[in-house]
Amino acid sequence: MNVEIEFDSSWQDDFLQKIDHDGPWGNWELFKLAIDIERHLIIPEFEGLQAPKHLPNLTPLPHQLETAKQVIENMNGKAILADEVGLGKTIEAGLILKEYMIRGLVKKVLILVPASLVTQWAQELNNKFYIPAITQRKSYVWDQCDVVVSSIDTAKRNPHRDIIYQQNYDLIIIDEAHKLKNNKTKNYEFVQNLKKKFCLLLTATPIQNRIEEIFNLVSLLKPGHLGSETAFYEKYKRDSRSLNDDEHLKEIVNKVMIRNRRADTGIEWTKRHVETIPIEFSPSERELYDSVTELKNEGDWLQTSSFSVMTLQREACSSREAVFYTLKNMLLKKENPTQAYQQQIESLIKKVEAVQKNSKAEKALELIQTINDKVIIFTEYRATQLYLQWYLKQHGISSVPFRGGFKRGKKDWMRELFQKHAQVLIATEAGGEGINLQFCNHIINFDLPWNPMRLEQRIGRIHRLGQEKDVMIYNFAIKNTVEEHILKLLYEKIDLFEKVIGELDDILTKLEFGNIEDHLIDIFSGSSSEGEMRIKMENLSSMIEFAESMKKGEAHAAAGNS
Amino acid sequence: MQQQEIRNFLLNYFQANDCPIVENHPAYLTVQLTIEMDKELMNRPFYWHYLEKTGGIPNPMQLTLITDKEGAPEKLRGETIHFGSPRLHQIFESTKNLSRYIRLYENHPNANRQTPLLPWLCMNVKISYQCDRKRDIFKSIGLQLINGQMVEDFHDRLMRVPLTPKIPDYSFTLSPLIKPKSGMLRIESYLKSAIEMDDHSWADEARERWEKDLELLNHFYEDVNEETKESYEIEQQALKEQYEPKINISFINGGLFYLTARAV
Repeated sequence: MNVEIEFDSSWQDDFLQKIDHDGPWGNWELFKLAIDIERHLIIPEFEGLQAPKHLPNLTPLPHQLETAKQVIENMNGKAILADEVGLGKTIEAGLILKEYMIRGLVKKVLILVPASLVTQWAQELNNKFYIPAITQRKSYVWDQCDVVVSSIDTAKRNPHRDIIYQQNYDLIIIDEAHKLKNNKTKNYEFVQNLKKKFCLLLTATPIQNRIEEIFNLVSLLKPGHLGSETAFYEKYKRDSRSLNDDEHLKEIVNKVMIRNRRADTGIEWTKRHVETIPIEFSPSERELYDSVTELKNEGDWLQTSSFSVMTLQREACSSREAVFYTLKNMLLKKENPTQAYQQQIESLIKKVEAVQKNSKAEKALELIQTINDKVIIFTEYRATQLYLQWYLKQHGISSVPFRGGFKRGKKDWMRELFQKHAQVLIATEAGGEGINLQFCNHIINFDLPWNPMRLEQRIGRIHRLGQEKDVMIYNFAIKNTVEEHILKLLYEKIDLFEKVIGELDDILTKLEFGNIEDHLIDIFSGSSSEGEMRIKMENLSSMIEFAESMKKGEAHAAAGNS
Repeated sequence: MQQQEIRNFLLNYFQANDCPIVENHPAYLTVQLTIEMDKELMNRPFYWHYLEKTGGIPNPMQLTLITDKEGAPEKLRGETIHFGSPRLHQIFESTKNLSRYIRLYENHPNANRQTPLLPWLCMNVKISYQCDRKRDIFKSIGLQLINGQMVEDFHDRLMRVPLTPKIPDYSFTLSPLIKPKSGMLRIESYLKSAIEMDDHSWADEARERWEKDLELLNHFYEDVNEETKESYEIEQQALKEQYEPKINISFINGGLFYLTARAV
């Protein structure tokens, strides 16, 4: 055996002194209790998890326990946790941290999360895991506290940065780690220079998409796992179309990454019911929409401004308030507007003023009354949000607003108000990260986001662990408008609501089609006409169909071989 | 530890520390802390400092510890205790600190006969095998300080012997031939040679993992330059800390025991 044995002899003098002075001696009962305790606290095996015994009030799900075990036993404590949204990555990270702390392998911990999640992380660790995590408020916490939660933006700045570099961390956890995909950023550099004995990177975004992102993230965690930068790009750029190589890469990446999917968790997820609700414009609303659409034929004056016709069209489908707000801005922000420009906009504003009712809002009201339960309404526009709040109030329905920009405390408070006092929550953004509303199971998509990832996030707020009922999703679309076309093209064709985005992305990655998000952004913001958009969408959806048929073929072939 | 065991432990702990049990309910305990115990557990040094300066009347706190939330009255105010709760671990620590060294005599039944008692040195230790994983072994070793006999599981043997802090009547202790200090060294080398005999494939495996990751790292930084040298060294150090196998022997508690010849 060639392992160094350290024998703690700090107590010897103490003991000898007691012998010399004949005491004072301890109490036999306490002495025996101390032995009892040690026997309970001893960890007899390298394998297995001790943490659950210490967490009687937490019932981790099988996939969470399995993940924690995998990370500790097979990944040596360095892993990317990339579960789909809502599967409890925080719980997994907490379990791993707790396990290491119980085993005495980890004491000093740095947890870097988005600013809006700092408090929540600290609370969860304290309440669910009994880990005394402290949020960073003063610069002295870095060296005086063992478990500190902070935002990267704070941590990377001095004086913090220098103090952090002097600490000897045992474990570093980074939430929303996909933000570190670019190795040229300050954040990346900051994290790279941290000493990472054990390290967990948490991300909900599947990273198999861009080869460069995988490389950067994995190299942050475990430099060299994918080879050196030069070697890696030589190999994967040259042969980037080869499926076999991709398989190989996937295998290597999977050695440092765990990605649980809803489908594999074995948990009975409640269903998603998606209903599209077509709505007719009132004549005055139609009038407004049509006039906005006609702007396209009005020469090139619009092209020079940053406002696109499509934006106005979409806004017209949401509320006259949303259109009005943009029109006002177009007037204010244009330098030296021509008279024609001003007249044009003023005539549109007149059309806005002529609109007497909001057909969608009426439908929403009717729906909310029939549901007679908690409902979340999502809209893309602040103006619509304000209008809806006012409108619902007119009809005796209480609502609370929610925006991504709210501070953490306000978010929590609004959530609480919604849970206890209001029937409706009107949100302009998924609020993205970190608000869980699983006590509600109805969502109205008052208008649709361009980006289907955002849509998944919206639904993810309620369709997550803890949701006991089937989730109802109502998509509003005004007939014969750009909105209806988008819905048809995008959401119905790809069958997106029923699917979880991750699966789709995986299919596309296999075929080297790239990231679906990129495709969609290109289609919707890069197209100059609805016609172009339609053609591009058709292309994308046939690519997806092709990919799916390949996948089925593969499965079939595999079955045939067995 | 089951909740029932925790409850019994708490009861024993407070009784051993002379804290009156105000309420002894199956679902919870309320104890009146003594001044010493208040200082030990309640973490309010300013209060005690203030009191000592002003000469006020000390008012140690009462502590209610709930071991069965369901069984306790709903309105009861107290701390819920379970195996992972910080309060319990604080009490664990306190238990270990309060009774680290002990000296006891066998309370033998030989009432009228002069009985010699043999000196034993007892050491209870925890041995930890540590790399990127960890496991522990509990050892209780007894060393007879006259003939040098070494006994394992000594604590369990002691549990079967009636013990008392005062030397019983008609008893006399034999003086040790082995000094306690060299006794400690004997136990240390005994433990070390016992560890040598154990299977240490865990350490070899850890070194293999280490080696593998180090190779990857070297490959990644194959063209180390001044700029990347520092990050390379940080990573290298991190791997060492992650994998390097180590064995720690830490002391739990120990003492001198004077026992009859038949006791062990």
